[in-house]
Amino acid sequence: MTPPTFLVVDDSKLHHQMYGLAFNKGELSGSRVLHAYDGREGFALYSTHPEIVMVFLDLNMPEMNGLEFLAKRRETRLRPETPIVLVTTEDSPDDEARGLAAGAWAYLRKPFTPAQLEALVAKAGAGNGARGTR
Amino acid sequence: MSAQENPFGELIREYVAECLPLAEAVLERCLRLERFWDHAEPGDELLLPLKGELHTLKGNSAMMGLTAIQGLAHGLEDLCGKLTLLPQLRGSAGSLLVRGAGLLVDLIQEAETAPATGSEADSYLAEARQFLESAETVTERRTGDRRSTDRRTTRDVGEIGQDGAITTLRVDSARLDSLLEAFGEVMIAQAGMRESMRALAPLSRSVGEIANLELSAVALEKTLKRLEGALMQTRLVPIASVFGRFNRRVRDLAQDREKKVRLEVAGGETRLDKTVIDRLSEPLVHLVTNAVIHGIEPAAERAQSGKPQEARITLAARQQSDRVILTVEDDGRGLDPDRILMKARALGVAPTSESPTLEEIYALAFLPGLSTEDQVSSLSGRGVGLDVVARSIRALGGTVQVTSEPGRGTTFVLRLPLTVAVLPSLLVSVGQERYALPLSDVAETVRMAPDMIHEVASRGMVLWRGAVIPVSDAGQVLGLGGQLRGRRYCVVLRSAARHRGLLVDRLLGHEEVVVKALDPVLGRPPGVSAATILGDGKVACILDTVRLADLHGAELSASRH
Repeated sequence: MTPPTFLVVDDSKLHHQMYGLAFNKGELSGSRVLHAYDGREGFALYSTHPEIVMVFLDLNMPEMNGLEFLAKRRETRLRPETPIVLVTTEDSPDDEARGLAAGAWAYLRKPFTPAQLEALVAKAGAGNGARGTR
Repeated sequence: MSAQENPFGELIREYVAECLPLAEAVLERCLRLERFWDHAEPGDELLLPLKGELHTLKGNSAMMGLTAIQGLAHGLEDLCGKLTLLPQLRGSAGSLLVRGAGLLVDLIQEAETAPATGSEADSYLAEARQFLESAETVTERRTGDRRSTDRRTTRDVGEIGQDGAITTLRVDSARLDSLLEAFGEVMIAQAGMRESMRALAPLSRSVGEIANLELSAVALEKTLKRLEGALMQTRLVPIASVFGRFNRRVRDLAQDREKKVRLEVAGGETRLDKTVIDRLSEPLVHLVTNAVIHGIEPAAERAQSGKPQEARITLAARQQSDRVILTVEDDGRGLDPDRILMKARALGVAPTSESPTLEEIYALAFLPGLSTEDQVSSLSGRGVGLDVVARSIRALGGTVQVTSEPGRGTTFVLRLPLTVAVLPSLLVSVGQERYALPLSDVAETVRMAPDMIHEVASRGMVLWRGAVIPVSDAGQVLGLGGQLRGRRYCVVLRSAARHRGLLVDRLLGHEEVVVKALDPVLGRPPGVSAATILGDGKVACILDTVRLADLHGAELSASRH
């Protein structure tokens, strides 16, 4: 059984390491994670990896931010059903609303725990056993 | 929650690796902003990225469960937000911002080894909140004449108490300076008045009137004393603004030398006169830099001698009656008395006593050329020695002492007056004596040649800018003796009626001297308004140019007879 592939788009190396830890725990262990450090790189990976089952997308990034990423996906109509989680902070409710309007499946506020991340993955039905190219 | 209990706790090293450079960038930006704001430049282009960086730091710290750092970053982000909206606050917010950023750097740096308990961050946040609260009740006052206002953007800001009355005011420091200056002039005028009154008393027949006048004069003097006290109180600033700048410097210096140094600060709330604070920064930088470079041993050497690898430098301040005691203490290798003595002998400045006490030996360290390191490191300041530190402390009316225990550490103790008044002056010498002339009274200095002085009816006259002005010899006026033609310089003094020249031997340069009142018991020599202590610890008189003009007249009438 091929492990599911996740895409993490975040400009912080630390956050990538955190996702690395979280995706290596419990139900999620063995997941494959693709790392992108800005929206542009993230979108390039997203377009070339149809096996991606779920995206964790940081809101604030250089080059292309989370909202721009979402707008671009809508514009290109590229796998609009793939769930994208917009990762925000507690003081950006406006951006969260905008993100949902722009096609985000959910938002996840920092600070989050691996358990919260796992729960979101389960809710999206993107955990082990899920397949890309839905 | 501590980082250890946090699900991402094991990433603490990665956290520091990512956040420390970011926090340092924040500090750098804040320092630049402070400089901008000091020059009344808005610096808007720095504020936005600053907020972004703080936001990232906040998020990262939150993920790690480092709530103290998260809170601090959040508070700083807030502060930046407010400063974006209220540019009029920027002029007075620079040092607050810099201190916060410095604390942020420190806390992140220590996140792995000594996670913040939050108390430092909390007290800073409380201060920032207070600043913003007072800012939100801005009572902008038109400053009247726009041309006369200074370069700073600071406006007066009021804080409103519970009953709605304004309880705290933020006032531009330049205004306090001008207030103090005016006060100084009042004091001089008052002293002159008393002088005249004393001279008048024996001549007057209106005994009752004279007695009344004397009573009024005493009352006036008392009130002026109170006014002086109140004025000085308004100029007191917490020394934390200076202390806050050392963390980064210590860390950088230590890192370059593969030393581990922790800076501890105590008594940052101790208040000192703004002038003292402004002038204290440099000698303190020098002492702290010295401690890191020369005082502290490399980590390996410390380990060998059984000391903790991480060295400690403590900066502390406390008030003791009308003085403030500052200490700069390190737990390094200490001063080597034998070496100091050897150098002093080589320089021919060794104490005369056969077996000098340790105290006497350490006092030698403040002599020029005796700072113990032979080679001045390019980083240890500007290659100045302890003599320069001693000079600047003495110029502030303070003293500096050093004690040391070989192998255990060194402690510098600085004793400073709580308040000072400074006077921009021209220092001159007359014979062996040095005098300070208030710079505001000096119109020009002229190099003299003997044939430039003309005697008209036994009065000395000099042609200056197309006018003939009377000159007098400083030595004669001040009772030191001397003749009209021997001096090399003429200081042209402004006075209400006309310019007058004062002949002196040498010009020693401009200096902001600290004014010390003359002891009333000792009396006031004619033509002298106050005294000051010069860099070498010797006393110089500050001349009262108005009285000098009178003396000049007296001297003339005397020479005519």
